[in-house]
Amino acid sequence: MNEALAELPRLALAHLQLSLAGLGLALAVSLPLGVAAARRPRLAAAALGAASVIQTVPSLALLAIMVPLLAQIGFLPAWIALTLYAALPILRNTVAGIAGVPAALCEAARGVGMTPGQQLRRVELPLALPVIVAGVRTAAVWTVGTATLSTPVGAPSLGNLIFAGLQTRNGASVVVGCVGAALLALGLDQTIGLLERGVRERSRARSGAALALLGVACAVALGAFAWQRAAPGVAPIRIGAKPFTEQYLLGELLSAFLERETGRPSVTLQNLGSTVLFDALEKGELDAYVDYSGTLWATILGRDGTPPPRAEVLADVTGALERERGVHVAAALGFENTYALALRRDRAAALGVRRISELAPHAPSLEIAGDYEWFQRAEWRALLAAYGLAFRATRTMDPTLLYAAAAEGAVDVISAYSTDGRVAAWELVLLEDDRGAIPPYDAVVLTSRALAERAPDAVAALGRLGGAIDGASMQRMNLAVDRDGRSPREVAREFLTRRGDVRQNVKTVGEDPAF
Amino acid sequence: MTRRDAGTVRAVISARDVHKRYGAALAVDGVSLEVARGECVFLVGPSGCGKTTLLKLVNRLVEPDAGRIEVGGRDVREGAPHELRRRIGYAFQQVGLFPHLSVAENVGITPALLGWEPARVDARVDELLARVELAPAEFRARWPHELSGGQAQRVGLARALAAEPGILLLDEPFGALDPGTRDRLQQAFSRLRGELALTVLFVSHDMAEALLLADRIAVMDAGRVVQLGTPRELLAAPADARVAALLETPRRQSARVEQLLGARA
Repeated sequence: MNEALAELPRLALAHLQLSLAGLGLALAVSLPLGVAAARRPRLAAAALGAASVIQTVPSLALLAIMVPLLAQIGFLPAWIALTLYAALPILRNTVAGIAGVPAALCEAARGVGMTPGQQLRRVELPLALPVIVAGVRTAAVWTVGTATLSTPVGAPSLGNLIFAGLQTRNGASVVVGCVGAALLALGLDQTIGLLERGVRERSRARSGAALALLGVACAVALGAFAWQRAAPGVAPIRIGAKPFTEQYLLGELLSAFLERETGRPSVTLQNLGSTVLFDALEKGELDAYVDYSGTLWATILGRDGTPPPRAEVLADVTGALERERGVHVAAALGFENTYALALRRDRAAALGVRRISELAPHAPSLEIAGDYEWFQRAEWRALLAAYGLAFRATRTMDPTLLYAAAAEGAVDVISAYSTDGRVAAWELVLLEDDRGAIPPYDAVVLTSRALAERAPDAVAALGRLGGAIDGASMQRMNLAVDRDGRSPREVAREFLTRRGDVRQNVKTVGEDPAF
Repeated sequence: MTRRDAGTVRAVISARDVHKRYGAALAVDGVSLEVARGECVFLVGPSGCGKTTLLKLVNRLVEPDAGRIEVGGRDVREGAPHELRRRIGYAFQQVGLFPHLSVAENVGITPALLGWEPARVDARVDELLARVELAPAEFRARWPHELSGGQAQRVGLARALAAEPGILLLDEPFGALDPGTRDRLQQAFSRLRGELALTVLFVSHDMAEALLLADRIAVMDAGRVVQLGTPRELLAAPADARVAALLETPRRQSARVEQLLGARA
């Protein structure tokens, strides 16, 4: 709770900046377009049609699709997606507001000798203003709500608290994030509502007060932006993390370690997808993150067939990434987190299965659930091919819910991570991959070429993490978060304090001169 | 008639063989009409006869398909429409007062568009409100929604006159009013017209109003002028049954009034 509250001001400010930026750009685009469309029925039909289609795209998908479209992560894709999302209510109300001006007033405007421009500025826009402001109000509430979904594309917002809280079963963090976003939405709604009443009733006091409040909000957002820009000092090192507990822990661990070893500030970008993370690292939008050798081997390098042994996969990945992608493997952390199939301990005993090959005959009567990526991953296809698995049904779920679903018997089998604390916490067992279909998953620290140029000391420091974490330690840390409800940052820092000696560790992959 | 002769010589408004079609319907079908300086010509006829369209052709709220319209001796198509409209006062039945502007701002709109000094606009607004019998001190700051129907129509008339136009186009400006208010406004109009030497084209479906206020009346039907003459000429010799039918009601009413007056005497 305290950690979530400590994060609240920073994330609320980022949320406000993102929301106002989206709203502002949507206004700048939709208002002129709406004015132009108000006199051109075909343009109106086309613009409103396009905006409506965008609106039917689920907001999370709209945000996610901006990443490949704009080929980057962070503020820009979130900003553009929010703008597109906010455009419809403003556009629709601008067109409707101007169309709703009575014909007699338009005739009077022409009759007294106004030019078309004067008619628009002096009659149509003032009379349409309450309707337009109502549209902005709707857009504002939507934008603040949708901005919570910017977390997975790498733009920080109050969504960080919600996503991370859901993944780490930290209800307080979820509540802080939700209440914060709700209060922000409510505040904007009330302020713009005041402006709406002000323009409707032609009350200068109301309109003025509302505009002053909005002005303060914009000034805070812009001022903070300018201050962040102007702040002296080095740009922080950007560390990515996928959306699960172990990744939050490792992100915090890398961040704390870098700070301790190099004094460099860092920020963590959480909840990014595997390929998004790698692409961002390759482009230098991200400086470091932890991935797994098997994922890189199968998904990024596109290798298939029966995977070679652990050391060969690691060597292959390290060499190929450096040569072909310009991505540096700074260290292998020393533990594996493999994809595995898991089911309830009592269920496994009843079926008499300990290995995946023993599960195959039962598969046609079982339902399997996986995280968002699982059924698209090469490992799933490899499993199907190696064992001839044919499940009764497959189901995609949020990783937060997977373990509980298996424990409660809602699904029979799930895709699990071998180091996940929840396997033990929920009384699940992992099945042995007896045909070696799933490649080894050494946790490796990847760094970008940009970081090597900008901060070689940081890359060297990360190299000292080689072999620093064994499987048991990782599982303990995961369990401390998943079962005991402690925060990833606290657990990661505690680990580093206890293992103050990691700097003496010399087992590194990254310092191998061969690469 | 001398007035008609003057019209042909020095027409302030002149329409020559004007046509206007809306889809399949002919709204104005080859109308020629001249209005002399200081003259008040009424366009009278049933709904859909084209009288409003003909009026709007003069200030280019409607553009003709064929024919030529001159105002002050110049083709209206020369120059921008808004400049033409600032020289021509226009008032219509719905009035169209801007609800977000005060009475004073509504009346002063055309002078403001013409770039008059604010002090001159204020003085003009007060003068016109007084002329339409609305006390300036009381009405200047009012909002249109605070006015009665008759007050709104007076403000509409004041707005049409604000920029000192020589020409006034009126489209049923006293429609939808109770008879008493209507009568007072008609009298106010007659007085103003004389004082300001206005040239007026006035659309009405009320022949009694036309007989009382017009110098000449153009009776229209199906987009054509079926008779053009002074009230006396129309009453003396209606061109056809349609004109006679339009004259029937005021004729019968006045006969009845005379009969009642005679009976009392």
